[in-house]
Amino acid sequence: MGYLSTICILSCINITAVLGLAVLTGYTGLFSIGHAGFMAIGAYSSAVLFLELNLPFWLVVPLGGLAAGCSSVIIGYPAFRGLGKLRGDYFAIATLGFSETVRLLLNNTYPHFGGAYGLTGIPPLTSLPVAAGVAVLALLGAHNLMTSQHGKNCVAVGQDEVAAQMMGVNLFTTKLKALFISAAYAGVAGALFGFYMTYLSPGNFGIGLSSDLLAAVVFGGMQSLIGPAVTAFLLVAIPEFLRFLVEWRLIIYGILFVVVMVYRPQGLLGYRDLDFSRFWRAVHGLRGRG
Amino acid sequence: MVFFLQQLVSGISIGSIYALLAVGYALVYSVYNFTNWAFDAFMVTGAFAAFYGISLYAMPFPVAIAFSIVMTVALALVTETVAYRPLRAHNAPRLFMMISAMGASLAVVNIANLAFGGSFRKFPEITAGAYRLGGVSVGRMDLFAAGFACVMLCLLWLFLERTKFGLGVRASALDTVTAGIMGVNNNQVALIIFGISGVLSAVAGVFFGAKYAVYPYLGTVTIKAMIGSIIGGIGSLPGAVLGSLLLGILETMISSYISSVYRDLFSFSILVVMLLFFPSGLMGAKRVVKL
Amino acid sequence: MDAPVLELKGLSVAFGGVRAVHGVDLTLARGELLGLIGPNGAGKSTLLNLISGAIAPTSGQILFNGRSIVGIAPDQLCHLGISRTFQNIRLFPRMTVFENVALGLHARPHYSLADAFFCTPRACRMDAAARERANGLLEQVGLEGLAGKRAGDLSYGLQRRLELVRAMATEPELLLLDEPAAGMNEDECEQLTRLIRRIHEEFHYGVILIEHHIKVVMELCRDSRIYVMNLGEILSSGSPRDIQSDPKVISAYLGEKRTSHGQTRRQLSRSR
Repeated sequence: MGYLSTICILSCINITAVLGLAVLTGYTGLFSIGHAGFMAIGAYSSAVLFLELNLPFWLVVPLGGLAAGCSSVIIGYPAFRGLGKLRGDYFAIATLGFSETVRLLLNNTYPHFGGAYGLTGIPPLTSLPVAAGVAVLALLGAHNLMTSQHGKNCVAVGQDEVAAQMMGVNLFTTKLKALFISAAYAGVAGALFGFYMTYLSPGNFGIGLSSDLLAAVVFGGMQSLIGPAVTAFLLVAIPEFLRFLVEWRLIIYGILFVVVMVYRPQGLLGYRDLDFSRFWRAVHGLRGRG
Repeated sequence: MVFFLQQLVSGISIGSIYALLAVGYALVYSVYNFTNWAFDAFMVTGAFAAFYGISLYAMPFPVAIAFSIVMTVALALVTETVAYRPLRAHNAPRLFMMISAMGASLAVVNIANLAFGGSFRKFPEITAGAYRLGGVSVGRMDLFAAGFACVMLCLLWLFLERTKFGLGVRASALDTVTAGIMGVNNNQVALIIFGISGVLSAVAGVFFGAKYAVYPYLGTVTIKAMIGSIIGGIGSLPGAVLGSLLLGILETMISSYISSVYRDLFSFSILVVMLLFFPSGLMGAKRVVKL
Repeated sequence: MDAPVLELKGLSVAFGGVRAVHGVDLTLARGELLGLIGPNGAGKSTLLNLISGAIAPTSGQILFNGRSIVGIAPDQLCHLGISRTFQNIRLFPRMTVFENVALGLHARPHYSLADAFFCTPRACRMDAAARERANGLLEQVGLEGLAGKRAGDLSYGLQRRLELVRAMATEPELLLLDEPAAGMNEDECEQLTRLIRRIHEEFHYGVILIEHHIKVVMELCRDSRIYVMNLGEILSSGSPRDIQSDPKVISAYLGEKRTSHGQTRRQLSRSR
């Protein structure tokens, strides 16, 4: 049972991070290969707050998310100002640079953050109920956000940002919001990760992790939440049962990226969250929203 | 003073490697408005091909370079045909193209990792040796790299400005659709452009591998080339060269005068500064959105 | 006298060496429906792009309700009251008809991100209010039955209509229509003409209408003015009848008549 529990906990952590990236890439159409950096910020800041300032677990996890969200402004602000097709590429490059820089800084901060030797001594506080609870909250929250006016604006920006701007949508603030949300989600996931592994190392948070997150969104489907969530689970579970594939993981993802983009860009459940509209209507019915 | 000159030489040396990559990147970008994320895979292929050419088959250095160019261009053409062309044909959004490019990069780089292992390999000692000019030591390899880069870029310039194919490329850079209507074979142009990108990346990979080491993830240096291109003005070829040289020099200075840890931090900060204050770079043109 | 809604003074924009728009003067009174016609490449769409903030002029003034709006971002201009449609339809194809229209209402969200995340009563109320207004707008143009359909699946004529109502959703004072009848046949043109006339009468928007279908323009502007552009400049302006008989307009559209000596009529008149 412990083995199954491991898969479930890691899946829930992955789901949380992937939902954030789905908001940014799946809905708002912004490519990021740097979300491992936000997870790292969330993980390290929550661990340090807990270890050094003795703040409680239930506080440091959201604070980790907040730290990651706020740090996203460093690349969001410069990259999203101004109009032009250039911006999408600039942002993507910036995410890569950001993630690598975070890893570099963490590698070189020996006393406080453990440096390349890693940060140890984190208590195992991420139990299955905690992880599952966060994942469910994350899913509900993301759904609320994407069906709200803010979310619709994100979708419009993702589909045709010029037309969206002409209709009055402020591209800069919309993109910043999407980025902040996705970074905060990644930060929370990272925090939970730290308190599960009990040990953090900068090497955990490289391009491989960012690619894993992106894979879940690409395969799960654009403009969908359930798709990436399910895929996030599958991408944790399957390698556990097909151990021999683990070495080939990134190669397979790479090839699948190309194949999916060419033959089925909508992924598993892209653009079809409506299929679950009956489910969502039931949920909303409970809360009085039509 | 000697120290300063030494670092300058070193900076130009790494800068010229960045320049080769940046020009390949800028070329693709100026025509297709598209960041070729897979060019780190091209670089890795070039480096490994040359390395194994020399160590396994005892190729002389020029032959090894030629071999690596051939292998890399083959990869570039395959990537273009399989991962990019179908998407361009469907007018796929740029996000999809970026994902596809990322996929190509992931696949190739990790195949290299799996096949060759992650250890760092040094090029055999054919390329060692240095000249001394007034107290400043200039590595033979560095000189060769810078010179070769110069020659390649001049050849590229000649190709673009003086040949029929080059005219087609320049026309496509201005307006792909119109160029197509005017009789430019867009698919052919795409192959030429990616082929050139492959050549430049291969040479960059070989020289980088010779200067430092050959390992599967050496392609991560391509982000420096992208930053160099942004500094010079994205889409501008002379700008890419200028920006990359500048970046290489400044980086090396920071690395030696302050600390090598701060080298990459510096490059990232430069990126942020450029985006904040000089989004068009030093030589880039502003683009107008047509409604 | 009521101040004009829009005033263009000496407006020019050049791209490199090409003068797309040069020295354009134009006034639009409150609630007036202006036509803008001219051959292809005359600069009509460029003019709309200037007014809607998509491009910046190289010289001249654009005054909206007496205030200069040069340099203000397009989304800001939308909230100041300028809205537009596009020459090539730019709907959001994967969003529903309803969502396309609703976007115009909530481009600036009515509640905070936190309200959205927790689905607070305030958020629900605002959503319901916006939903009502959007449905009301759809009824205005007869699209309420298709509210749930994806915009990309609509027929061409209905897409044009959707674009129009989406532009109306932002509650503009000035509506810029860029060839709304492009690609339509006679019947569709008539339907569109009636629709635009009805909307104009009900909502009193100021409208600038670019159109190539002369019948549509003449019909809609029969009680107001038409501007004729050619080669980036205003060639002529006036009532439909005036410009129909203006020789400059005729020669721009139909070409010059050459005399037996090979000189054009204009050259002849100049030499006199």
